[in-house]
Amino acid sequence: MLIPCPHCGTRPVEEFTFLGDASVKRPASNDPSSMEQWYDYVYLRNNPKGRFDEFVHHSGGCRAWLVISRDTETHEVFGCVTVRDYGKTKGGKA
Amino acid sequence: MPKAPVRSKPVAVAEVILPRVSPLADVAVQGRFGADRGAPGVTFSVRHPLSIATVIARAGKGKATAQALAEYEPRWAGPDQYFVVAQGRGEGALYRELKSALDGIASVSDQSHGRVIIRIEGPKVRNVLAKGTPVDLHADEFPAGKSALTQMAHVGVHMTRVGEDAFELSVFRGFSESFWEWITEQAEEFGYQVR
Repeated sequence: MLIPCPHCGTRPVEEFTFLGDASVKRPASNDPSSMEQWYDYVYLRNNPKGRFDEFVHHSGGCRAWLVISRDTETHEVFGCVTVRDYGKTKGGKA
Repeated sequence: MPKAPVRSKPVAVAEVILPRVSPLADVAVQGRFGADRGAPGVTFSVRHPLSIATVIARAGKGKATAQALAEYEPRWAGPDQYFVVAQGRGEGALYRELKSALDGIASVSDQSHGRVIIRIEGPKVRNVLAKGTPVDLHADEFPAGKSALTQMAHVGVHMTRVGEDAFELSVFRGFSESFWEWITEQAEEFGYQVR
């Protein structure tokens, strides 16, 4: 799998470290009533088939945090952006 | 009556200057190795002693940092990050100079003792490097002056093309011996010289 790093160009997957789902949102509240949301945020992950956004760290290159959008079934890569740019787009879109 | 504590006289501390020793001093033995027919495919040399500093631009100061560094031939080392390399400078001189030149726009740290730069040049240089890195080394994609961060043999390498057939590889000091052994082994089939 080749990943188009916005800083380094196309690099193989071996240079990257995966962190997981980039779509999870940290609950805004620390109130005990929001424990359900916190449980969801910390522990529960979807395992979708198809397009999926996930965090990667380019540990073997520029050491930047990135978000890659790929197909979990075919490994087709749709895009790769820095986390900063990912955060700027509403709802996130790699 | 308890004894009064013995007070030693203040001793004048002489300034100790430790000579810089290349971590590859005992490993990078000069000579001709590997395939011994014809001219060597590549030539290795260790650039030592060298002044090396990293420069990391503060938030929003990327352009200002790049402009301030223009005369130093900075080597790209990540987004808004650079290596600056200089030869023949005194201990810490490059670091102090950069620190005052970039005051307020970038953070500077001295890496002179932390990194080792190995120069590799010759007609087979691309063949040797291609065994370790996925980076496209063709001159159209990777011209002289360009740098890349990559991994070779599990070692993080900062690579700069310094000429048509010449590259400089910067690795952490502690990895340099193992990296040296790996890369010279890759060059054996072409024959190599150590200078």
